[in-house]
Amino acid sequence: MASQYAAELCALLVEDNFGELFARIFSILQRYDRLSFPRLRFYSRLSDRQLRHGLAAMIQQHLIYHYTSYDEGVTYYEPNPQAAYYLVRSGKILAFIQDRLGKYAATVMSTIMYLGHAQISHLETLPELRSGRSEADGISDDLEGEEAEEQVNGHNVDGPIEQPALLHPTLKALASHGYLIRVRDAQFQSYADNALDAERAIKSRPDVKQMKGKRLEETVLDGTLAMLREKLDGDLTRGLMHNGLPRGAKRRPGSGSADKSARMDYDMEDEAEEENEWSDDDMGGDTTPMESGIVVRVNYEKLDVALRNRRFLDLAEVHASPATAQVYECLLRRIEYQTKQCRDSVEIPREGEEGEQYSVAIALSAVTEEVDSQLDLAGSIGPMEIQQPVSKRGKRALDEDGVNGTSHQDSDAPSRTYEIDQHLSLLSQPPYNLTSKRVVSGLITWTVEFRHLARKLRHLELERVIEARYGDVALRVIRVLHAKGKLDEKRLQEISLLPFKDLRQVLASMQSGGFVDLQEVPRDAQRQPSRTIYLWFYDPDRIRNSILEDTYKAMSRCMQRLRFERSRLKEFLEKTERSDVKGNEERYLSPAELTLLGQWRSKEALLLGEITRLDEMVAVMRDY
Amino acid sequence: MSRFGAKKGRKLPGAEFSWETGEGGGENDTAPTPLFPKYHVPRARPLTPHEQIQVDQYRSLRERFHDGPYYSVLDSATSSAKKESAARAHFDPFHGMPSYSGKYQKKMRTVPKLVGREYVMKFFPKELWQTIQPSFKPDAAMDGYVLRIDRPGIRRGFEDDEDEEDDEAGKKGKTGEEGEAENEDDEREILDPEEEEEEIMDDDFEDDDDDMGGDYNAEQYFDGGDDEYGDDGLGDGGGGGGDEDTY
Repeated sequence: MASQYAAELCALLVEDNFGELFARIFSILQRYDRLSFPRLRFYSRLSDRQLRHGLAAMIQQHLIYHYTSYDEGVTYYEPNPQAAYYLVRSGKILAFIQDRLGKYAATVMSTIMYLGHAQISHLETLPELRSGRSEADGISDDLEGEEAEEQVNGHNVDGPIEQPALLHPTLKALASHGYLIRVRDAQFQSYADNALDAERAIKSRPDVKQMKGKRLEETVLDGTLAMLREKLDGDLTRGLMHNGLPRGAKRRPGSGSADKSARMDYDMEDEAEEENEWSDDDMGGDTTPMESGIVVRVNYEKLDVALRNRRFLDLAEVHASPATAQVYECLLRRIEYQTKQCRDSVEIPREGEEGEQYSVAIALSAVTEEVDSQLDLAGSIGPMEIQQPVSKRGKRALDEDGVNGTSHQDSDAPSRTYEIDQHLSLLSQPPYNLTSKRVVSGLITWTVEFRHLARKLRHLELERVIEARYGDVALRVIRVLHAKGKLDEKRLQEISLLPFKDLRQVLASMQSGGFVDLQEVPRDAQRQPSRTIYLWFYDPDRIRNSILEDTYKAMSRCMQRLRFERSRLKEFLEKTERSDVKGNEERYLSPAELTLLGQWRSKEALLLGEITRLDEMVAVMRDY
Repeated sequence: MSRFGAKKGRKLPGAEFSWETGEGGGENDTAPTPLFPKYHVPRARPLTPHEQIQVDQYRSLRERFHDGPYYSVLDSATSSAKKESAARAHFDPFHGMPSYSGKYQKKMRTVPKLVGREYVMKFFPKELWQTIQPSFKPDAAMDGYVLRIDRPGIRRGFEDDEDEEDDEAGKKGKTGEEGEAENEDDEREILDPEEEEEEIMDDDFEDDDDDMGGDYNAEQYFDGGDDEYGDDGLGDGGGGGGDEDTY
């Protein structure tokens, strides 16, 4: 992502969050890519002191890579555009964590983001994580997690002894979900540097030195990959999961497991957790705090997986009943625990060259366990007596409720599994194929075909853009072209059933927008226009790239607009940020100023919200 | 058409269709450009509650960054900047003058403040270690593991430490002393604006000092800028003030 607008956007994001000094250093590094300290100072025209402090702070925030070569001993600095870009996603991530693990977890997460990376021991000393809860209580949110927290507060008000007990389970929960990883040395170097280092190390091994030709290449390649994996790996989930479930995974009230005998001890624990999410004080193994020497940071890759699942869920919610969506959520969550990243390759492979990649298979019984036992599964699918997969999505059996209730009362457990299976097969139907069924040695398992779905999301996003820009006729043409490949005008017209005039208009405007293009296939060597076939085609990869660029551009324009609007109100905003005014706005500001402040806030929120939406697009196009 | 070798009287394929794009894409090439063409301005949807939460989270995190030690601007122009310098030229005479309410104004840092928290030294390149931890001695043997940075306030008052630092300053040469000077600057940054202005004058002076090599400083005649807060043993004696701040 070294393109112009991406670079611009990253610099703007850095500036928005950390100020001009960081932005200057960052944009210089982006322009020249890899610089030693003296060169950097020369280009940036900053004082030695500013630059040193700036660099140190930026490394702390993971905004730049550094690399010290062994031969020369010179340290080079490189920008880390990914990290800079993820600044924009912070709001989304925090909202997600708050949703999933409660407000306190979001506070912990935001503190870690604020610190860049942090030792556990340092987190323990922070006042905001201790008193964080009482503040959080003040802000009345009607969240589930909130209530649990208040409950704790009510029980034992003698805070300080009990507070660290809250921090550690939260950290553990975050770590076992994979949202936090351990910081490793190698993470501070760029991937290319790490790869080169590893390659050098492998090549210097005596047994490798004797190899030749193809065998050497293969060994080096494999060794490099293995070494990289080992060096970059900061996985904290191992040892923190029990029974494939991360700690602190929020369960809905009353979710009893089907096979109690198998996991009796864990159930005990789970039930205790249900009563009060974070009070693990009396649980033997759970109070052991995280090792205080561990340095943690946010694991954006894993969060991308989680956010992608959220996106799939949204898709399911639109096209299926709420009960089905909930079943799907359970499946996705189980899969999420075992998925580390969105895809194996760094770049999104080209359309059509992408192999299918199935997620881990989740046994049906595990999904059944996860699904809330109070959930009304029968109400939203057709009567059970007719043993066939439901063909239409969202088909509701309105008047069968009574029948269902009576017929399945007596044998509840097997029918529940069956019903969940039905829900999942409902989801596996076209057009989206949100799930797919596998039978592994007699066991029914369900998987999600991530690459297919990610592609689907991309196509939906592109289609949405095209429809918004060129109307539904264009959308139809695009779909035809996408399904049939390259077509000449006549065929296209026959298939899409559109009058020539409309078709040409729409094709012309789309061509000028770069969404479709024309290929000439001459029938003879002279390339005469009359003897040439013209084929229209639609290349999703190309469109994806250009849309991605446009999105970066739109985002950076939003940021610039925001900056401009802020500069217009600079004096006023500085006043509101004064240390005496802040927090006492009602007391110090006149009514007119208060309305102005409100207007500003909503304006800013709208622009930031727009950036968030665009980020969603970027995520679909680039990250998923 | 004949130059393409096509049969006479036969039109090119598709010539019967016009390229007029209608209301969608504009006018014919020959048509005059309308002065005020209809332009549809797309409007953003209002935020959903969920998005509102995301935005609020982003804003609160950003605010934390802004209030945090790393947020730093490039140059805040003040009236105390050197004459005829670029900073002076950018000075805003309407809003830049110090006023009473200025003491509540948010102070902008020009250099990120690194002291006051722990760093894991092994994650940083060696050439920055001294910046992160001013007391770090490049010559001393170090395992490079977690180092605790003392707050300057804590260190003050221990005679031994100071002596050690004196020695250090002697040994370390330029960069080391710079580290220390930084330390003090950082400390002073949280103080009131008057102090800050002095700070800037000091800076200016120091540059000159380096150039000319003299140790007389008219601007520091009354106080060296470190009387109140900078008593750390380095600054005792007449030449001490200048010595300590030398880059």
